[in-house]
Amino acid sequence: MVTVKDTLKLFGISIVICCAAFVCTLFINYRIDLAAIAGTVQGDQAQKLYDAQLSTSTVVCAVAGGCLILTSVVMLLTYIRNFIDSRSKELGIMKALGWSDMGIAKHFGIFGMSVLAGAIIGISAAAAYMPKFYELQNKTDYFSVPREMHYGAFALLALIPTAVFAALAVLFAYRSLRKPVMKLLREDPGSKVRNGKNDEALCFTKELRKDTVRSKRSLMFFVWFSAFCFSCNTQMSFSMTNLASETMGYMILVIGLIIAYMMLILALSAVVRGNAKTAAMMRIFGYEDGEISRSILNGYRPVALFGFILGTGYQFGLLKIMVGVVFKDIDTTPEYDFDFKALCIALPVFIVSYELVMLFFGSRIKKLPVKSVMLDN
Amino acid sequence: MITVENITKSYGSGAGENRVLKGISTTIGDGEYAVILGASGSGKSTFLNVVSGLEKADSGSVKYDGTDITELSDKQLTKFRRENIGFIFQQYYLLPNMTVEKNVRMGADLAGSKDWKEIINAVGLGDKLRSYPSELSGGEQQRVSVARALAKKPKILFLDEPTGALDEATGRQVLDYIGKLHDQLGFTVIMITHNQNIADMADTVIRMNSGTVTEVYHNAERKTAYEIGW
Repeated sequence: MVTVKDTLKLFGISIVICCAAFVCTLFINYRIDLAAIAGTVQGDQAQKLYDAQLSTSTVVCAVAGGCLILTSVVMLLTYIRNFIDSRSKELGIMKALGWSDMGIAKHFGIFGMSVLAGAIIGISAAAAYMPKFYELQNKTDYFSVPREMHYGAFALLALIPTAVFAALAVLFAYRSLRKPVMKLLREDPGSKVRNGKNDEALCFTKELRKDTVRSKRSLMFFVWFSAFCFSCNTQMSFSMTNLASETMGYMILVIGLIIAYMMLILALSAVVRGNAKTAAMMRIFGYEDGEISRSILNGYRPVALFGFILGTGYQFGLLKIMVGVVFKDIDTTPEYDFDFKALCIALPVFIVSYELVMLFFGSRIKKLPVKSVMLDN
Repeated sequence: MITVENITKSYGSGAGENRVLKGISTTIGDGEYAVILGASGSGKSTFLNVVSGLEKADSGSVKYDGTDITELSDKQLTKFRRENIGFIFQQYYLLPNMTVEKNVRMGADLAGSKDWKEIINAVGLGDKLRSYPSELSGGEQQRVSVARALAKKPKILFLDEPTGALDEATGRQVLDYIGKLHDQLGFTVIMITHNQNIADMADTVIRMNSGTVTEVYHNAERKTAYEIGW
């Protein structure tokens, strides 16, 4: 029912967890080592810098790790819901044959494996990068943090998320499966009536554009979040280079770009897959390729732009707060103002790269075979 | 006039090659009601796909008033379908998130026609404009599919077993609508079916078996949907 092959489709979660594990491993290990030298730091300036380093490690772990894990949770729950929707008949037959809800749901625990895989890769990468990371962090005259590998913490970083995600998958699947057998058997994901009535004044293609976005709110969220991450992380990486270190800047940039593009690609793949029949039908009727791809994809452009704008505001607010918290006791608190240069670089890169991705998925729509609609009864 | 000459079509290759159409030739006149009759596996669906331009033939030609559509590019074929052809399928293929009105506008907007409400009324669904496909019966869904196809003002209407998923009474009703609209609007109808009785509604019957045309005959008088057996 739920196979390892299905788990492989969760590679998106594996990548996000990998990023989370990488950041958290570095900073948790560093924080433990930092805490171990608490009594040895001497001098007022050294103590203030030490406190700032400690706060930075905590904030980075909480914000970066927390956001990434939250993203993974949303992705996991969306995937499970889509999985159950697309196989409702199969699951209905199993229930009709006597399987209990929990008996079926416990198979979803295997999705925890995608988290374990991501965590192991992230932790291994962090362990490999650890010497360089400490070298960069120790570029101060006030104190030096000796490096120790805290393997126990590494193991917990891999095992706890795996167990939590597996349990979450089982419980969510259990909740989603608690429907009468006949409802599961009759349920056709394509036949649900959506909220909101069609607007009479709109022509068909405009209505389709609106409906494509409206009918899959989770995909709309992913596109929005992708643009949000792109905007937030790229602009923040410029500021972090000045406020913290170049390493931190690169780390934030790379993580942001991975999450942004991966989420966008996953979301748009699902959009194209979900609209394959509509696209085929439109082509059969004589709609041109451009009209079809515009009707299906154009609705996501304003969503992405909105995500970019919010991400810009969010990173500015977050950095303002972080600078205030981390450097509160230090005499030479760095100046932080809105970075227009970062915005001027991030915005055109965002527009060009997102248009390229849209163009790619537009070409995927063009390649959808017309005949599939006749064969898939 | 549709002129089909020596069409062949195969799927697979080598030992697994399946020759579905084995050199089919026939003609269908403008405004004619033609039925392609054949059992499952006779090649009638593939024939319909090739003649309507949804699939390319391996060889042969399909000419519409002298224009060979087998030589058109994909873009030209799309334009050809847009301007000339309507489709009705056994499984309806309505868009589930769209109301009846929007589904019909899918066809109407292509032709720039504004009379979609009249067409919905003509198939007896004037009171279901705001309903979604899941709120309709099978027969009503097929009538929406008929309205959608006709709203684009096609010159040729292709029907792939339009009553295959319907009960007898509903099937008759749908065929009756199609017959009446054909008489009113004068478009060409090419319908595939395995039901011998439906062939009595046609001007021309093309019988197929194992990828070949085995018989072509013309009915002296067309029966209505309520006069045929089932």
